[in-house]
Amino acid sequence: MAVKTKGTIVVAGSEMTISNPGKLLWPEMEITKLAFLEKLIELSPYLINYCARRYLTVIRYPNGIHGKSFYQKNCPDPIPGFVRTAEQNGIRYVVLDSLPTLVWLGNLACLEYHASCDRIGEPDKPTEWVLDIDPSLEEEPRIMEAAWLAGELLRSLGISAVPKTSGATGVQIIVPLQPDLTFDELRAVGRFVGDYLSRTHPKLFTIERMKRNRGDLIYFDYLQHYQGKTLSAPYTPRARAAASVSTPLTWEEVRADARPTAFHLLNIGERLRRHGDLLERAPVQNLRPILEFIRKK
Amino acid sequence: MQTVWKGAISFGLVHVPVKMFTATEDKDISMRLIHKTCGGPISYVRQCANCSVTVSSEDIAKGYEYEKGRFVLFEKEELDALSTDATKTIHILDFVDLQEIDPIYFQKTYYLSPDQAGGNAYSLLLEAMRQSGRIGIAKISIRSKSSLAAIRVIDNCLAMETIFYPDEVRSISQVPGLPEASEVNERELTMATMLIQQLSAPFDPAKYEDDYRKRLMELIQAKIAGEEVHFAPEQQRTNVVDLMAALQASLEAVGTPAAAPAAMTDGDKPAATKPRKGGKKKAKETVS
Repeated sequence: MAVKTKGTIVVAGSEMTISNPGKLLWPEMEITKLAFLEKLIELSPYLINYCARRYLTVIRYPNGIHGKSFYQKNCPDPIPGFVRTAEQNGIRYVVLDSLPTLVWLGNLACLEYHASCDRIGEPDKPTEWVLDIDPSLEEEPRIMEAAWLAGELLRSLGISAVPKTSGATGVQIIVPLQPDLTFDELRAVGRFVGDYLSRTHPKLFTIERMKRNRGDLIYFDYLQHYQGKTLSAPYTPRARAAASVSTPLTWEEVRADARPTAFHLLNIGERLRRHGDLLERAPVQNLRPILEFIRKK
Repeated sequence: MQTVWKGAISFGLVHVPVKMFTATEDKDISMRLIHKTCGGPISYVRQCANCSVTVSSEDIAKGYEYEKGRFVLFEKEELDALSTDATKTIHILDFVDLQEIDPIYFQKTYYLSPDQAGGNAYSLLLEAMRQSGRIGIAKISIRSKSSLAAIRVIDNCLAMETIFYPDEVRSISQVPGLPEASEVNERELTMATMLIQQLSAPFDPAKYEDDYRKRLMELIQAKIAGEEVHFAPEQQRTNVVDLMAALQASLEAVGTPAAAPAAMTDGDKPAATKPRKGGKKKAKETVS
């Protein structure tokens, strides 16, 4: 990438105009749009790796995180030549598979990147299983304890998983999979695990769907991981004051009660240089024996 | 609000695409039925009166009991075929004055909003009805039941009241003990009409509230606060906990080691799992 003139950059051979480079997107962290684009480029290999074969939903904040925002599923017009799209249910989604596409979206103030659980053209062959541990409180001191307990339970079942911050208040546990189970089958395993956790830790976990009935319990959400639903992509920035980034963690960090806000746009590059992508290295799991055990009962 | 129906109003050559929403909601506090002796919630089981077995929904048909113990059976498709609602329209038949309809006919109110590009036609119908002061009588099917309906204007919204068919309204002649000729005392009548005048007021629905619901809610809150709470017996608990223990034991028996925390992050792989790299490559091949 070379900065040619003020406002125009060339990314991997594609020239594009950058509007309002000095606009503050995360005012508390003093992150301007130009700084955001630089960080996005740093994150691009990891973000693209995860999103490239999924339907992308972005959240745009044209006036920064405190301004109005909107979800965008349909590819915004005009569509540059380097942008690929994929259709599903009448919606023309952006396929985030290249750096120019990511920078183009970044310039449109797409601050958050949410990826479909199903992959393009593969409606019911998930390549991972995601459990969303979602606190009811904005500040939940027990969130890492909850994630740890869920991780321990999976470990007792021989399942190796990777925790990641959602970037907001929650933690998601990702289990890379052989693509041989359906979403419904994964829900059956999720229900079993959630049922167990909410019964053995009734003051911590709930599987209650209605938000108003959850009180201050942590929602163990095994339903969000489904065809047509989205989850915050690993390494997506979030439109929150801390400029937090959805970050895969080690289980040590979970046990040491890491704070989700400690992983943000300004330090994620350093972390990636030091640790690489924890998610990419995670071993693929086979949940079929567990599913079959649950089914038999 | 949630769309409960989509279709179009049609009258003459005008076609107005609309979405329908329920206008009123019942705020009754619902209660579960609880087994007094143990506190467990009562569940409904569909049981065959003949075989005394629990019957699943795919084995259930609908039957009309034309005489005691004798039924004619219907498949869902047969009943669906009867519905005339292939076109999904609210077909306006006549326009009448609202006063001509006795409130006894009104059943349930829905709001209608313009759908897709139907905004202009919607505004046209709304304004024409407002100016004429008339309401439309229409035929509509919602789900499998067909109804009569009245289309009228509320502020800037078209509303639809489903109304009973005349043969669904019982005749007053069936009410027992109604006075035949009036025999009232003149003085008492004067007093009664005076009382009515004194209590006359403009209708203000906001001043009425559901006292019973309020008192019940207070009682519920008091019981929760006083910890007078009954827990459902955790029969499930033993099930899922036992099941988990059994699962863990059986996994251990086949030699699936529980991965140590460190092993999950430093690249070591548990014996029962395949390395990520190979698996991922395979996934890619099946995709493209």
